[in-house]
Amino acid sequence: MNQPFSRRKFLKLTGAGLGSSFLGGCGNGFDWESFFQKNFQEMTSAEKNRVVQRLEKKYSGHYGMPVSVSATPARENTVFGYGLDLSLCVGCRRCVYACVKENNISRDVQIHYIRVVKMAESERNLEKADHYYSPAKVPEHGSYYMPIQCQQCDNPPCVKVCPVKALWQESDGIVAIDYDWCIGCRDCMAACPYRAMKFNWRTPHIPKNEINGETHFLGNRPRVRGVVEKCHLCIQRVREGRYPACVEICPAGARKFGNLLDPASEIRMALNHFRTFKLKEELNTQPKFFYFFSLG
Amino acid sequence: MADNTPCNKEFKHLLGCLFQVLVKGGNLFYGWMSALFCLLVIGIYYLIPQMSEGLVVANMREQVSWGFYIANFSFLVGVAAAAVLLVIPAYLYHFKAIKKIVAFGDLLAITAVIMAILFVQVDTGRPERFWHSLPVIGTPNIPDSILGWDIVVLNGYLLINLVVVMYMISSTYLGKEPNKRFIMPLILLSIPWAVMLHSVTAFIFNGLAARPFWNASILAPRFLASAFCAGPALMILIFQVLRKVTIFEIRDSAIFKLAEIISYAMAVNIFLLIAEVYKEYYSDTLEFAPMIYLFLGLDGHNTLVPWIWTAMFFNLIGFLLFLIPKTRKNFMTLNIGCVLIFIGIWIEKGLGLIIPGFIPDPLGEIYEYMPSRNEVMVAVGIWAFGAMLYTLMARIVIAVDTGKLRHPSAAPLVLDDEEGFIARDIMSRGVLSVSPETPIEEVRTILVSNKISGVPVVAADNKVVGVVSETDIVFGLIYQEPHLVETLKSIVMPRSREREEKAGNVAGEVMTSPPITAYEDTPLTELTQIIAEERISRVIIIDKEMHPVGIVSQIDIVKSQGSGRSVKPGIPHSGSYF
Repeated sequence: MNQPFSRRKFLKLTGAGLGSSFLGGCGNGFDWESFFQKNFQEMTSAEKNRVVQRLEKKYSGHYGMPVSVSATPARENTVFGYGLDLSLCVGCRRCVYACVKENNISRDVQIHYIRVVKMAESERNLEKADHYYSPAKVPEHGSYYMPIQCQQCDNPPCVKVCPVKALWQESDGIVAIDYDWCIGCRDCMAACPYRAMKFNWRTPHIPKNEINGETHFLGNRPRVRGVVEKCHLCIQRVREGRYPACVEICPAGARKFGNLLDPASEIRMALNHFRTFKLKEELNTQPKFFYFFSLG
Repeated sequence: MADNTPCNKEFKHLLGCLFQVLVKGGNLFYGWMSALFCLLVIGIYYLIPQMSEGLVVANMREQVSWGFYIANFSFLVGVAAAAVLLVIPAYLYHFKAIKKIVAFGDLLAITAVIMAILFVQVDTGRPERFWHSLPVIGTPNIPDSILGWDIVVLNGYLLINLVVVMYMISSTYLGKEPNKRFIMPLILLSIPWAVMLHSVTAFIFNGLAARPFWNASILAPRFLASAFCAGPALMILIFQVLRKVTIFEIRDSAIFKLAEIISYAMAVNIFLLIAEVYKEYYSDTLEFAPMIYLFLGLDGHNTLVPWIWTAMFFNLIGFLLFLIPKTRKNFMTLNIGCVLIFIGIWIEKGLGLIIPGFIPDPLGEIYEYMPSRNEVMVAVGIWAFGAMLYTLMARIVIAVDTGKLRHPSAAPLVLDDEEGFIARDIMSRGVLSVSPETPIEEVRTILVSNKISGVPVVAADNKVVGVVSETDIVFGLIYQEPHLVETLKSIVMPRSREREEKAGNVAGEVMTSPPITAYEDTPLTELTQIIAEERISRVIIIDKEMHPVGIVSQIDIVKSQGSGRSVKPGIPHSGSYF
């Protein structure tokens, strides 16, 4: 649905009536099965399997390559936490693009789950942040960089305001979205104090050869236009025991990740050794995303 | 309404009659409807790219994720809630002139709610998934989500108003007395429901800690106050159009009552705004930024500045026009005030409320928003649709209320006046009068031979200048005997005002002047009040040129009780619910 609005499409749509344009967002024919698909939270495991199989077939056909969709549930005794060492971050934005690639995020229009802003060393006010810094080389003297993404709140305002329960918190702490249930009202975007929610203003476009075929239902499976998405800590990776893509790519080692319930985890080490802070702590969103300065 | 033939032959012709009511009209009607239809088609034309390409054709972005659509939504919810401003005076205070027109307020509520729902629908990314928010088939996030509640409250308000209007209209159509025990609770429920509707809508924005501009507890009261300005302002304009282009009668007193309400609501609205601006200005925290952006511009970004100052200017001028009784009761200035307030509130509570909530965004970025052409044209289409809907619904209500659309076996509609008797109904006509030069002797003969107690004195230009009553004549006879005057004063109709003892031989010398007068449409209640307060026996009824057209004496009032144009049981009155 990326081609510009043509006369032919106009005739097709007006001919079929407004109703079909209303419903016909999915391309070739209307998919009644996905229209009546239930909220993921209400599906039995049998229903989940059936939906997952249908989606695998649909995505594989569409992208001409095998695409797997998992519905792996949260592991027991696991709550994920994330640490960000602002002393080490050099502002290279490799995390931003690794995330885009890993999570099958739209390239056109561009959506980024991670936003890295540049701040003067003495500054803590985000209103003074530079969102569009673009020097030849990073880091720049006298500045520090602050990557911001979904803070995986324990008291998430987005979940609270969602009118249809398309957003919820999984038992491993990940705030998940059912893209097939979201109605696109964007109340969560207004509610999020971290600008974590991203909206597909048009059908997300990903070149076919750049598709990541390993996907999760609540994670990086292909999205449709008109729904929200956001960082899910690479749910398709972390539930298989791997690092999120941003942690893996970070050349400075500024990103720490692990199970908050495991005393030996990397994130617990960071929490034990450094004085951490949470972004906009006064809003009581209780992020599981911790910032700290490891040096000076 | 060109077609005035009664449309009540057979029941099976109801649909035919309804069809006639809906499609038959004069050139004005056809012109109005075709213009609106064109706008609707244009709106749909601009909606199609949004449906096929996505909301990317709007100017909303990640930073400003709600825009023109939601601005219109919150404004229209206010217009809908303002319908209670007719229900309260009509049913709690039994203000008769408003009772007659309360149905038009309900129609406005219905129209505004439907338009609000349409604005939400065009704003959502997946409108076909709206059923996810419904109980049973969907998973509404209640009680957590205020938006979830708003869907319930909005549809509930629509339902209540639809039931009330349809029930009332069908009882009038069938010529049956409405069952008050069924409908009154619903009507009364609509009052708190309207307040709830608008508060809950305010709470959607109010409850977001991420948006300091909205996160002020004064938001819901501000919503209500501004709604009670814009809603009635629109109603006043609609009512004047209705009574101009249809045969339906809407009294000035109803319009002026609404105008009075606007003046109070606007005062509260301005006060609340000042309170909010003060708090942000004086505490001067970082949360002041959105307000600076709105009123002064922030770091060179000032798209909204001319808009908000236009709104402030319009609101203030409108408020002054409504505050001064002279301009409030002059239709020219009243209408200017209505238009100014409607536009002013539409800006203030639309773009002026929604957009600064997003600027600067939570990460401090400023993205300046103005609606795209698609957004504006889709909004125009929805407004045109609303106007068409209201026009057609109002035609049905008027046809039923004027007896044009009526069940064939229903008793004929009694065009009874809800305000009860007015002077015209009970006054004695064919007024005898005398001139100031008429000798007292002659006046006395007239009083005696006609068995009346007083007669108006009319000057050469046929204007009433005074009244000569029995009392005046007696006073004229005894004026030289002060003790008799005193006694008579205390027993015979003592007047509130001091009377000068006058003697003379002609009517002009003994008459009471100026006379106590009233107009033909003065209600009976007011006439009795005048008679009691002025301690007189009769009121001269005059026309606008001060020419006498009748007299209402105490005996006329006595006679009017239990006879004349009383309401026959079992037949609903025209143009009103009860």
